[in-house]
Amino acid sequence: MSEITMQSPVDVGSISASDGSVTLSDAYATTKVQVRAATGTAAAATLDVPYGSSTRNVDGDLVCGTRPDEWTIYGNPGRSAAIVASVPTEGFVTVIDITHGRAMLRVTGSNATAALSKICNLDLSDELTPNGAVFSGSLGSVSCDWVRADEGGETSFLISCERSFGKFLFIAVADACTEFGLSVPRGWELHPH
Amino acid sequence: MSNRLPTQPGEVIDRSKSLSFTWNGRAVTGFEGDTIASALAANGVDVFGRSMKYHRKRGIMTADHWDPNLFLQVGDEPNVRAGSRKLQAGMVVSTQNVWPSLKFDLAAANQLLGRFLSSGFYYKTFMRPRFLWPLYQKVLRKFAPGGEIHWKTSKHGAYDKRYAHPDVLVAGGGPAGMGAALAAADSGARVMLVEHYTELGGHLRWGDDAQRARAAELGSACEAHPNVEVLVDSTVTGRYDHNWIAVNQRSHPIAPERLVKARAGVMVVAPGLIERPYVFAGNDTPGVLLAGAARRLINLYAVRPGEKAVVMTANEEGDAAVADLDRAGVEVVAVLDARKGEGIVSVEGKGRVTKVTTTDGRTLSADTVVTATGWTAPTSLLNMAGDRPIYDPSAARYFSSGDLPPNLLVAGGVDGDGSTDDLEAHGRATGALAANRALRRRHDRVSQTARANPPTWEKPTEMADDRTPLARSAHPECYRSSTHGMVDFSEDVSSKDLVQASKEGFDSIELMKRYTTVTMGPAQGKLETVNAAAVLADANQVAMADIGTTVWRPPYSPISLGALAGRIHEPVRRSALQDWHEAHGASPLLAGQWIRPDHYGDAMAEATNVRSNVGLIDVTPLGKLDLRGPDVPKLLELVYVNKWQKLEVGRVRYGTMVAEDGVVSDDGVTGRLGENHWLMTTTSSGAGAVWEMLEDWLQTYKPEWDVHVTAVTGGLTSINVAGPNSRTLLDRLVEDVDLSAEAFPYFSVRTGAVAGVQNCIIWRIGFTGELSYEIHVPSGHALHVWEALLETGADLGCAPFGVEAQRILRLEKGHYIVGQDTDGLSKAPTAGLGGLVKLDKTDTLGLPELKHAYERDDLPILVGIQTVDGTIVPEEAAQIVDGDSNRIMGRITSSRMSPTLGRSICLGQVDPSLSAAGTEITVLMADGKRIKATVQEHHAHVDHEGARQRV
Repeated sequence: MSEITMQSPVDVGSISASDGSVTLSDAYATTKVQVRAATGTAAAATLDVPYGSSTRNVDGDLVCGTRPDEWTIYGNPGRSAAIVASVPTEGFVTVIDITHGRAMLRVTGSNATAALSKICNLDLSDELTPNGAVFSGSLGSVSCDWVRADEGGETSFLISCERSFGKFLFIAVADACTEFGLSVPRGWELHPH
Repeated sequence: MSNRLPTQPGEVIDRSKSLSFTWNGRAVTGFEGDTIASALAANGVDVFGRSMKYHRKRGIMTADHWDPNLFLQVGDEPNVRAGSRKLQAGMVVSTQNVWPSLKFDLAAANQLLGRFLSSGFYYKTFMRPRFLWPLYQKVLRKFAPGGEIHWKTSKHGAYDKRYAHPDVLVAGGGPAGMGAALAAADSGARVMLVEHYTELGGHLRWGDDAQRARAAELGSACEAHPNVEVLVDSTVTGRYDHNWIAVNQRSHPIAPERLVKARAGVMVVAPGLIERPYVFAGNDTPGVLLAGAARRLINLYAVRPGEKAVVMTANEEGDAAVADLDRAGVEVVAVLDARKGEGIVSVEGKGRVTKVTTTDGRTLSADTVVTATGWTAPTSLLNMAGDRPIYDPSAARYFSSGDLPPNLLVAGGVDGDGSTDDLEAHGRATGALAANRALRRRHDRVSQTARANPPTWEKPTEMADDRTPLARSAHPECYRSSTHGMVDFSEDVSSKDLVQASKEGFDSIELMKRYTTVTMGPAQGKLETVNAAAVLADANQVAMADIGTTVWRPPYSPISLGALAGRIHEPVRRSALQDWHEAHGASPLLAGQWIRPDHYGDAMAEATNVRSNVGLIDVTPLGKLDLRGPDVPKLLELVYVNKWQKLEVGRVRYGTMVAEDGVVSDDGVTGRLGENHWLMTTTSSGAGAVWEMLEDWLQTYKPEWDVHVTAVTGGLTSINVAGPNSRTLLDRLVEDVDLSAEAFPYFSVRTGAVAGVQNCIIWRIGFTGELSYEIHVPSGHALHVWEALLETGADLGCAPFGVEAQRILRLEKGHYIVGQDTDGLSKAPTAGLGGLVKLDKTDTLGLPELKHAYERDDLPILVGIQTVDGTIVPEEAAQIVDGDSNRIMGRITSSRMSPTLGRSICLGQVDPSLSAAGTEITVLMADGKRIKATVQEHHAHVDHEGARQRV
């Protein structure tokens, strides 16, 4: 298995504006595990992150309160088995590795919020969407799960969507970033001429 | 530049930057900072275009955005507002709506026919004879106003859009608006200040030194304030529920126009006032302009508007215009003070004013007439919030009724009159109040939003609205002289037309508007609404306050369709294999949101290969739902028409869903992977609806059931391996599953490794009618498996096949497709589900309707059909009729040429009387021909016993 590489729906890696004010990166390989656990289960008690927020656990994984009674755990590539094993499954609990099924982008930089606000109608300001915020919302007409997960003091959003929408979402976000100096790779334009 | 004045103290042009452009083919120059109109006026241009209906010569009237006479063609862009669009070097500017030329326009003959072209002319004239309407259309199109679009060569590119969430949005960048913005921002609110023109300042921009200085100070303060975002050359075009506000930003480096969708806590409406024209004979003659226009031309653009002027003034703006004209060297022949009852009766002149007749009987020689007769309060945004403004005769304009939602406040001229300081102070008080309300709202939002941290600041105490209203200055009611003139310059509607409409019974202002089209042109009533109401009130002999108003709806001013469209986001779904399909010549097929391979060049050959060897098809769009929990069987019993409680682990079953009305809604195969673990598949198009329906049941009606539903459609790439060699092929790649017929029978499911990829779900089913396996592979590894299958199966004839080949194969096998062979009326008996439907179940969605449906004998029946002449393939949706009559007895739902049988094959819905095997039916083709066909014993045309797939 180890020699079989994960194929991302977005294979352009990372692209940045010339001034570095916004960077768009493919984060498909991120391990993504979804946990659904009823209140009162050991899993719910262990995860213990309220809906709408996130925190790093002792293993460095990002645990997100995605929806009521639902969590998503993001980890480094290849951590699926470890993360799944870490969740207690007593009671009515479902743990699913959704790594393959979710495209994921990371948008970082001082202009990240402004760029995303071109195609997302949610208020992404620091007060409504602080670092650690977890929410769902449409981005470029694609239903997405979001985490505000700043990196190195820079604003950063981790955004995932159903894998089949991944390429379109990347194109839509890249198009939104062009205003801030990002050059879209040839063939990835939203409105090619 | 014959009309360019020496340097003016407030001019906005940069005389060091000369810009060359062309006007109707003639090379001319202007300066940076000029509008197109000011540059042309400086070059001595009097006539800019022709009116819409009568093709009367028209010149500058308002010299701003609202000027109805300044719509010009600029390059490939039509309807450019030359009164506000800034001049750019190289512009190719020309007149619109004239032929053959601006000077000699044939359509000007309409003026001679004017008495026959009254309101309702089109309605009355072109109704009869009806058969001539297509001819009328062709002719009328020749006279359509507006410029030309060159959409095949246009290089405008895409328009743009963004969202914003200001606490306070201020519409209007005059003294009140800027005051409001600054006060709100000082209070801690995030402010978006939207100004219609390219600079902040409002009417102060063309005012005296003190006014201009104050405008500059306020503008600089707004620009510098960290809490204020200033959008100039932008218009608030609409206000919708809950302060959803649309802003059209016209000048932005990234796009010709950008639509800003703002959700504001509070909106402050401070648009100022718009000067309105005066109605008299000849009031649309070039050279007749408003006081504000004269002042803007002189003070902003250093353009002398004429040589000899008559000024009719009823207010300070007119008085100031007299001073400005005098300073600009224009001879002011007479000043007619409307406050003293003086005024204009008529104007004469063809391409320019030559004579003016006054109410005191004088005839004056002049080339320019300047009127200052009052204001329109642009209450549009208030109307959009439900306000119905009230007319105040003492001020001769409309004011808000005060019946406004708390998230909308009015500031400045719309509220009343005053000095610059008064207006700014009113704005500041309004801004502080707006900030208070908006910050209280923001505190609530932050407190109540799950993703936000609790606010670290105190919620402000509610502030009382103790603003002192602005005074209302007395103003004479100057609307129309003793003569008739133009009311709506955009639509060529005169006061005479309005009086005539009233006489014809259109005496309500709303009816009159629709009958005459007054206020319906590009000015959107800003210039003509009040005059229209006054003329109607006069015609009806009622007080103006009783005549009412039309309702201003969005947009505040016209907006381009491109801006409304913005960036077009139409998501396309791609399987993990789509790049491979495209690289290997697949013809794309858009199926809902999915893009799929229709075929790789020869669908018939692809189908034949499946029957002979083995083929692969990417069926990822199949909806896939991972179901977990002890109560999954209950859920399946509820949503499927058949039974599920006893399905064993390792088995799959076909199921059909019906809606509450018994109509077939979806179908698919569901397999039991473990005791409490199932995988459901749905149709590609129904995946979302089925998921939503399951969640609806689980969250709303059966919350006590322990079931978790997870959509895994994109996570599992689905590959159907079909054909007599499919088992041989899979045997080479599947490591830990016994694929023998005994160990892995038809309708079974196994989990194992394929080509080294773990956790693949393999089930044995057959949509094509062949021995086949459907493999669901973790999508990140799908390409590896797909390529391994093709490579390993090369000697077995393994090749990909597309959707078209699959459709052929399934039709040969007689499998129906929900939504194609059924429709919104097809109930279970129609689909021929027979024994699948278990009417003895205690509960199933649509069960009562199903029981009723099975008692009926009149429902259409889906049958296999073959044409007598096997070379003819009836069109899908071709009607099945009763012999030579046109009585419809059914329709062909699917049809193809079968490569296996070498003849056409069909499925179709027929009346029960035609459903018996062997019945001859008539199919009405699209070309009108009738062909004979025969109803078959089975849906399947090939291997109805299933011998090929159950090996």
